[in-house]
Amino acid sequence: MDYPIWELAMGGGMLMAIVAIPHVIVSHFAIGGGLLIVVSETLAVRRNDPELRELARRSSLVLILVSTVFGAISGVGIWVVAGLVSPAAISSLIHTYVWGWAMEWVFFVLEIVAALVYYSTWDKISKAAHLLVGWLYFVGAYMSLVIINGIITFMLTPGRWLETHAFWDGFFNPTYWPALLLRTGIVILMATVVMVFPALKTKDSHRAGVLRYLGWWLVVGVLLSYSGYRWWETALPETVQYLFAGASPALVALSATRSFALWSLTLALVIGVVILIASPRWARGATAVLLALSAFAFFGGYERLREGTRKPFLVHSHLFSNGVLVSDIQSINEQGILARSGWAAMGPDDPVDVGRRVFRTVCSSCHTIDGYQSIRRALPTFDDMVAVVSESSSGAGELVYRSECGACHTEISHPEMMEMLPTVEEMHDDPEMIHDLIQGMIYAAVVQLAEMGEAYRVAPRGQMIDTAEMNSPYMPPFVGTDEELEALVEFLVALVHDTTVRPAEMGGEG
Amino acid sequence: MNPNLIPAVDPAGVPGPLWLFHVLLVLTFFLHLLFMNLSLGGAILAAVGHYRSGGRRDDFRAVLASRLVGVNSYGISLTITTGVAPLLFIQVLYQQYFYAATILIAPVWFGMLVLLIVGYYAAYFHKFRSAPDRRNSGGVWLIVSAVMFFLIAMIHVAVNLIHAQPEKWASLADGSWFVLADPTYWPRLLHFGFAGIGFSALVATWWSVRRASDGDDVETNTAIARWTWRWVLWTTALQVVDGFVLLMVLPRPVLLGMMRGGAATLVPLTLAIVLGIGLLMMLARVTNPVENPGLVTGTLAAMTLTIAIMTITRHQVRAIYLEPSTAQFQIGVVSQWGNFVLFAVLLVAGLATVGFMVRRVLTSPASGVDAA
Repeated sequence: MDYPIWELAMGGGMLMAIVAIPHVIVSHFAIGGGLLIVVSETLAVRRNDPELRELARRSSLVLILVSTVFGAISGVGIWVVAGLVSPAAISSLIHTYVWGWAMEWVFFVLEIVAALVYYSTWDKISKAAHLLVGWLYFVGAYMSLVIINGIITFMLTPGRWLETHAFWDGFFNPTYWPALLLRTGIVILMATVVMVFPALKTKDSHRAGVLRYLGWWLVVGVLLSYSGYRWWETALPETVQYLFAGASPALVALSATRSFALWSLTLALVIGVVILIASPRWARGATAVLLALSAFAFFGGYERLREGTRKPFLVHSHLFSNGVLVSDIQSINEQGILARSGWAAMGPDDPVDVGRRVFRTVCSSCHTIDGYQSIRRALPTFDDMVAVVSESSSGAGELVYRSECGACHTEISHPEMMEMLPTVEEMHDDPEMIHDLIQGMIYAAVVQLAEMGEAYRVAPRGQMIDTAEMNSPYMPPFVGTDEELEALVEFLVALVHDTTVRPAEMGGEG
Repeated sequence: MNPNLIPAVDPAGVPGPLWLFHVLLVLTFFLHLLFMNLSLGGAILAAVGHYRSGGRRDDFRAVLASRLVGVNSYGISLTITTGVAPLLFIQVLYQQYFYAATILIAPVWFGMLVLLIVGYYAAYFHKFRSAPDRRNSGGVWLIVSAVMFFLIAMIHVAVNLIHAQPEKWASLADGSWFVLADPTYWPRLLHFGFAGIGFSALVATWWSVRRASDGDDVETNTAIARWTWRWVLWTTALQVVDGFVLLMVLPRPVLLGMMRGGAATLVPLTLAIVLGIGLLMMLARVTNPVENPGLVTGTLAAMTLTIAIMTITRHQVRAIYLEPSTAQFQIGVVSQWGNFVLFAVLLVAGLATVGFMVRRVLTSPASGVDAA
């Protein structure tokens, strides 16, 4: 929280998604592609199969153009974006796992050099030497997954690390092995669906055989992915499972994501079996696109689920997504945000401006003003209030109530709320009353977030915190002094009443 | 200076003694610089060579451009790969300064990724799509690539200067373009630019001399060697001048810090200056490098050594710039020696594997049915 803030209209999370989603697809293809290409070449050499060899050769061009260029740059891009939108968080990860990243870099060097050599030596060196290079590429690529998987899974299930802060306790955490199996399946899946495209260019006489060959790889990828996914789910602590699984999930959107991911995997399997294995003559560019999209959808769904279940943390039970450490809640509440961050302190003492800086410091890692996760749209407005109490046979008031108010007022029905609120006429007669009411609602919501901080503060250290018991299990608590809390409320109220309020780009002055 | 603008050190502590990370940062940055010089300088030289060839495919400058692009399509990958390690270690040692600097020019720093992708694919476009039969075909891709890499160099110099001067952050927050007005900005940028062109030209000379010595297209390789040698000579001359300018425009406390640093700072600085002038003398002695292959190899070794020493000096200059700030913070150390040893073993094994692979490839040429 003591870094300058880059306020981005689309939101830092969205930017990270734009960089990270293509990267994970490409990087997993780079690993699985390494395996499939070198196995294909090995089989081609043994069987003297020129078509399989051509498949390996054509795919290696895709590998070099996509993986070593886009994959490498977007991988660096993830660090770049993380440093821009969550500097404290990425710093914490790097300080904890710098030797892990360093080891991964060694395998990355091997992977890149081998990829360049492999691609550039077709037809130039002996078959045995070429195969050796291909296998070394795969070893380098897969070993980087073996290492990075430890750091990624640590973030969701740090396990005994929370108690010991020991490198290997965090690395071999409860979801390490399930996630490794799952990602092993995913790398094969990604490679298969990408290699179907060059396989479609195979000569007609051999096309069916090559597609069927890829179809069996797809089945292996799907089975490994599904087994790994199920194992991963069972390895999650119950408190995390509760968020998206079971009869009454705490986060319905995540539950829907889970269904979406698993149905997408099923679709990939069906297309693979029907089109690639049973009737490869039906394979066309369109079916290959559909197959790729279903595989990407499964992978994307899983990643969304993993990220979603980790909220509100970056490292579960240790570090919130806005860079605040669980162990720092008390000291920040005592000292204040402005005292901790020179950047937040820069600016006038006007409460709205102070509130704006508080918002930027503790809320803007997830919320924007008007863009992604817009805070302005999340706040109650005069029009919302009028809509809720409007008499309408179509049930529009209830719909507005559910969508705009339901997240907080879970135990009050629409008719009960109508009883409590003034009528439309009364609202128009006395808009100031509604203004005060909205201010009160915002204040209550922020106070609730501050109280959540107390719950986090007293939660037992050294073990996973049960977020399901929190009022807002996906949000970090409010931290800061009472004055800063009131300033934040002033700013949020100003947002509702003045649509011209905009965040400042950088620094203190807005 | 508002010390409160400098973020706190990471409470997790550094997982090893600080000196170890300083060594790793300098070492890996040196490796990165070698490939970076080839990418930046190679892209510029290739573009110049391509246009100077007048579109004649058999012109020695067109041959040179083609060679440099060929090297670049791999060299850029290795520049990125070797850049990952110093990016990692700088985040361990200087996270407070580095992240703050990148955030202050966030759109530009993020834009670097786009420039890198465009520059890289432009090199590939030239390699795969440019039909050399057509006059000046594909030259535009070479210019795009060179411009992208030069812009990236500008961004890196800006980040370096911002992160080293936290006392300027408050004013930079209102307009980060002011960094371009820093007296050291342009001399620093030129220092990198000249080094890039000079180093890649020297590598091209060395390669051409070797091929000419092997009797391979002696006429073309001799012409390339003579032409690139002149580029090395002139960029080195400019580099020496620019180096002194840079030294003179350094903030006075930094310059004094260098002078008062004793042998630790003065020996590398003096060595770098002596090597620079020595390089100039070696370069000026020869007009046809093909006749002096030993001298060319010696010059390449001397330039590589100069880059290594300048990397140390650059790191020391940063430390002196930051000294007033870093003195305020106590960095915790929580050593993980076991993990370091594992990293070191893997590094040695990894490099040995790469060496083994390259050796195997070089000793397994094949053609026809025997070839992969």
